[in-house]
Amino acid sequence: MGGLSGNATALRVTVAILILLAFVPLLHSGYDENLGRSVLMFATLSFGWNILGGYTGYVSFGNVVFFGIGTYTSAALWQHWHQQSIPLAIGCAVVVAVAFAIVLGIPILRLRGHYFAIATLGIALATEEIVANIDWLGAGSGQAVRPLEAFSSYYFAMWAVCAASMLVTYLITRSKLGYAFVAIRENEEAAAVLGVDATRYKVIAWAISAAMAAAAGAVFAGANGFIDPPTAFATDDNVFPIVMALLGGVGTVAGPLIGALILTAINETLWSHFPQIHTLFFGAVIVLVVLFLPRGLLWLMNTRGGWRGVVAAFGAYRL
Amino acid sequence: MELFAQDLVNGILAGGIFAVVALGFSLVWGIMNIINLAHGAYIMMGAYTSYVLFSTWHLDPFLSLPLAFGLLYFFGYGVQRFVINYVVRAPLLTPFLLTFGLSLLIVNVALFIFHGDTKGITTQYSGSNISIGTVTIAWTKLWTLVVALIITTGMQAFLTASRTGRAIRAMALDIDAAQLAGVRVSHLYAVVYGLGAGLAGAAGVLISLSYSLQPSMGDPFVITAFVCCVLGGLGTVQGALVGGLLYGVLEAFGSQYVGTGLQDAVALVVLLLVLIIRPRGILGKATA
Amino acid sequence: MSDAGPEPTRRTFLSIDNVAMYFGGLHALDGVSFEVERGAVLGLIGPNGSGKTTLMNVVSGVLKPTSGNVRFGGRRIADVPVYAVCRLGIARTFQVVKPFANLSVRENVAVGAMYGRNGSRRSARASFDRAQELLEIVGLARIAERFASELTVPDRKRLEVAKALVLDPEVLLLDEVMAGLNATEVDAALDLLRTINQRGTTLIVVEHVMKAIVSISTSVVVLAEGKKIAEGAPAEVLASPRVIEAYLGARYVKRQRQRETDA
Repeated sequence: MGGLSGNATALRVTVAILILLAFVPLLHSGYDENLGRSVLMFATLSFGWNILGGYTGYVSFGNVVFFGIGTYTSAALWQHWHQQSIPLAIGCAVVVAVAFAIVLGIPILRLRGHYFAIATLGIALATEEIVANIDWLGAGSGQAVRPLEAFSSYYFAMWAVCAASMLVTYLITRSKLGYAFVAIRENEEAAAVLGVDATRYKVIAWAISAAMAAAAGAVFAGANGFIDPPTAFATDDNVFPIVMALLGGVGTVAGPLIGALILTAINETLWSHFPQIHTLFFGAVIVLVVLFLPRGLLWLMNTRGGWRGVVAAFGAYRL
Repeated sequence: MELFAQDLVNGILAGGIFAVVALGFSLVWGIMNIINLAHGAYIMMGAYTSYVLFSTWHLDPFLSLPLAFGLLYFFGYGVQRFVINYVVRAPLLTPFLLTFGLSLLIVNVALFIFHGDTKGITTQYSGSNISIGTVTIAWTKLWTLVVALIITTGMQAFLTASRTGRAIRAMALDIDAAQLAGVRVSHLYAVVYGLGAGLAGAAGVLISLSYSLQPSMGDPFVITAFVCCVLGGLGTVQGALVGGLLYGVLEAFGSQYVGTGLQDAVALVVLLLVLIIRPRGILGKATA
Repeated sequence: MSDAGPEPTRRTFLSIDNVAMYFGGLHALDGVSFEVERGAVLGLIGPNGSGKTTLMNVVSGVLKPTSGNVRFGGRRIADVPVYAVCRLGIARTFQVVKPFANLSVRENVAVGAMYGRNGSRRSARASFDRAQELLEIVGLARIAERFASELTVPDRKRLEVAKALVLDPEVLLLDEVMAGLNATEVDAALDLLRTINQRGTTLIVVEHVMKAIVSISTSVVVLAEGKKIAEGAPAEVLASPRVIEAYLGARYVKRQRQRETDA
């Protein structure tokens, strides 16, 4: 077994990195803590995307919706009920997001391929607009979320959320559920004939994905201190996790975290050296990754051929 | 009642632009099966071409339209032939992300060159209207609609009557068979993508007459294009036209009764309803 | 095994009851009726476009018929969602074989073991064990770890059969399983099918390879243009002029007769 988890060595190394990341607050550097928390947040979003996109094959371009729901749940808890507790925020965010995912999932998951992708993108854009019109949520001007005094709590909370996401992904790949997802990805019709209730499992995948994104959002809101529609539903938070999963290895357990680490490192370097054109370079990075590593680094290690495989694969999809 | 008529007219006028926006997108999607997320960037490039020609040489946008079309055509041809071509047959996510990355690149180059401030084009006839009964029609928008109709008719003629056009349609039906029949598929793919970009550029010029310019201006139009294609049916000129006009009208009524802030929400609801009820759109053919 | 007509008091095993499938103006199936007895091997033949695969799709629940019913064990297949059909006891192979490419051979079969007929009682580990058993039966045990995408055509067909068998079906529908196989491979496939049938599984075999049909079927149903045109023992059916006409065309048969009377 272990067929779905990916390369075992890579997995062990990634877990080690994850454990190391837990010690970042000891550096007593606000900058490093922010950076580390950012990595953990993006990794969580990427883990979430990976469940539906990498394992089940339904590419969503709107996962930020659940992140946004998470942020607003946290904000609402503070604004209207004066609750600051992080576990409570995470718990409520997950419940709301999962409910949203189930209700939306049943009609939307009937769509395939491009249609599903754009429908999710449309959902993200529309939700941002709708939230900006709801006064109870602060409308366009946003809402404040009072941060806890012990600021590092947010770091550990994000770490816990990230570790939990990675663990959940791993457990899925070792269980029957993982095979339902992958069967749907490989051939949905054949899977149905073999007894897989595709609708049920797609909704489950989306719900898990939503839960992870929302949890990350709930912690982010507290750490950020303030959220408004553009912050909660930022395009970066939508696209970066996808590129990270792609870079690290779509459909592997370790991929999202590896991708998050590498891409954040690149992003930070670009930001500090070339602030004006860093997005431009980022666009270039995306183009290069997509052209040369269509399935990510960890697939390289998984399949035969290594680097030669990459070169051979480069021409595989051309006319 | 007067409001209804005005909304309807506004909707149709806007719909003409949407039809041109949708047409390029629909061709690339229908024939190459690629959702071109860079479509918005090409629209923006067309708009800025018109702006530059207008502010430097006072060239009227309607006259710079063919230039913008040509420029974007060659640009798109190159992008397809030398970049996108390598992932043309890859599964969904790859071309999707690639065109997204290209879009980021192009928009940020524009941001670098033109900066983020809003620009606009004001011609002598910009403010003038004609009135038919209780309905006011801006000259600019009327001419925009006329040009849009000319473009769509031209495209239809090209696809049905010309040799290249017929080869393109053959290729869309069965690429391997077309290749065996001697069709230069990689060239034609680039032609199709070039046309898509050119049409986007033309749409951009038309848009520059009525909307303000910013490097990110094109991005919302990708969703618009998608909705119009889904509404009207994929891969045909008539589908893009019907989808564009219908969407224009829907949006006009939508902002009247629901408010302008919720435009994307309206678009999404329309999109989802169509996808769930009749995924092939009004004029589309049923596919597997 | 004869195809005696249904007696009112006997509960039929699998009955296809006046099934029609219309796609717009196209009558893919037009009032097809026949019965399948438990333990039989039913050969389903007919020229291209006669509706054989459509009928397979209806019997396996992938398509809902426009009218008519398929009844199995007293239940109508059309009432049941596709993923639940295997739990009734019906399994099928697909004509165009597309295994789960990025999974190993064993994992391919394991999916059915996990989610098929007896799947809910099985753990993941047990599912893999069961999958391995099935690979032994079809002769793929030695390449259990290989990616399914790397298999040869005959091996892919075996995998397809294994995936269907792991569902413990009472009825197995085989859609052109012999296509693309050479003579030796066809014989091997026939042996496998005989073994499966002897263990108690009823088979419905759609084929173009007549040798296979003749050698393995207990009875044969012939479709042409969506209608059933013959039913009975293999030898009779294949010699029937109407069947020959369906395959070779009316003009050919007429010219043959002409030549025979002239001679």
